[in-house]
Amino acid sequence: MSSSTPPLLQVSSLHVHLGGRDIVQDVSFSLTVGERVGIIGPNGSGKTTLFNSLSGFLPVSAGSITFREREISTLPPHRRAQLGLGRVFQNFGIFREMSVFENMLLAVESNRKIPKRRRQSTVAEYLDLVDLLEKQKDKAGSLSGGQMRLLEIARTLAVGAELLLLDEPTAGVSPKLKDSVRNLLVHASDNKRTIVVIEHDMGFIGQLCDRILVLDVGRLVLDGPPDEIRSSQKVHEIYFGDAHA
Amino acid sequence: MEEYCIHLAILCCIYLILAHSFNISFGLAGLLNLAHIATYAIGAYTYSILTIDYGYHFVAAFLLSGVGAALFSVFVGAIAARLRGDYFALGSLGFYFVVSALLINWREVTRGVLGIAGVPRPELLEIDFYENRNFLVLAVILCLGCLACMYLLQVSPFGRLLRAQSENEFAAMSLGRDVARARNLSFLISSAFAGFSGAIFASYLNYVDPSSFSLTEMILVLSMVVVGRPGSFWGVTLSTIFLVLLPEPLRFLDFPPSAIGPLRQIVYSAILVGVVYWRKEALFPRRRVV
Repeated sequence: MSSSTPPLLQVSSLHVHLGGRDIVQDVSFSLTVGERVGIIGPNGSGKTTLFNSLSGFLPVSAGSITFREREISTLPPHRRAQLGLGRVFQNFGIFREMSVFENMLLAVESNRKIPKRRRQSTVAEYLDLVDLLEKQKDKAGSLSGGQMRLLEIARTLAVGAELLLLDEPTAGVSPKLKDSVRNLLVHASDNKRTIVVIEHDMGFIGQLCDRILVLDVGRLVLDGPPDEIRSSQKVHEIYFGDAHA
Repeated sequence: MEEYCIHLAILCCIYLILAHSFNISFGLAGLLNLAHIATYAIGAYTYSILTIDYGYHFVAAFLLSGVGAALFSVFVGAIAARLRGDYFALGSLGFYFVVSALLINWREVTRGVLGIAGVPRPELLEIDFYENRNFLVLAVILCLGCLACMYLLQVSPFGRLLRAQSENEFAAMSLGRDVARARNLSFLISSAFAGFSGAIFASYLNYVDPSSFSLTEMILVLSMVVVGRPGSFWGVTLSTIFLVLLPEPLRFLDFPPSAIGPLRQIVYSAILVGVVYWRKEALFPRRRVV
């Protein structure tokens, strides 16, 4: 990170307390524009809770979240989304009963920078980007897992998100469409969007990300490039225990 | 026979507005507001009190009946902000009972169980609206106006947002949409239209009393929306007409008059149970979590 460029997102000493337990403890990191970051860690390490607190679906117990130098930790989810913090859900956040077109139109209507007369053409552009133009009249619920994921990501881009938080974007996605998801995210990153991905597929993370954060029991234990993380003794200990290290 | 058909047509107009207004909050926004019939009552009573006690003109009283019902919805919106799903339905039911108790016990204003008699029909353009045929024309015009507004709302970006948040509120929020505001607005609009239908009802019957706004009326309105498919404009339109006309043949059967009322309720309830049983997946989709 260049010292002159302020970070896009700055998380400082973040704590999330839920059900009598500290799910996220003292997590701090920052992200710059265009970065592609992976978050890994065993189940229950607090990855999704971290995303939920960043996007406003869970309250922060202590610490701060600064987005474009603005404190956002007390803002509701929709305000954070309006500022440019996009979220892609693990359980497919699409509107299944609506058509593919309507799903995208909702996103375009949410982007105040797109004038009304350009909405239809913008919808077509984004659907074309993810090869769903021919399926625009279909119910979104009839799409395959990979197509739903592509639609959801394209929708988040259409809203104007500058930072995309993607929770397991390859879950339920065929190998062929995994490549499409990765290409779409690389394309978004090339257009100055910052990508943060929670993922268990290390191959996908290795090909996509230039930095990986490792969470364990709610704490950020490692932060570095993929090669360094892959060869780290500590990561082996976290996933396989001391005996396998 | 002609008078009878005109009566049924006027009832269809009143219930079309009422059912479609409920369709906004339940069908589009996915919120089972059981206090909806209370907003209908508030509209009817507001119109009656303003015209009888304060001498308001029909147009002013009609518009204010919608405003009064909409103001009441602010309370329902406050419950919706704190409760979800079944809990919200129960909370709104509590509000229905509060209004019901007020209608019965606030005698100085509502005349209690005796109700308010002599509610006037409109005085417009020197037309005699005490003639049911003329009143039907007015009811049809008001009904078409209200339905046109509600149809435009349904196909508008706001209608799309209501449908989206009812399916997945987290996803709607992540698109930068203020879901709580949209829900409150849906209550406001649906209550206003329920208020309008209440005003037409009071004006038509020239009389209002608490028994006209019982929970059995709520079951009827709920049936109209559920049978027509929640969120469907044309489905709710057809089912409303169907359910208003459905019990009418009972009048011509050789049943004692005391049995016809309960029989009507049994028919509505049986239809409601049947539709819910056969289409429960579509009516109550699984909620998604983050």
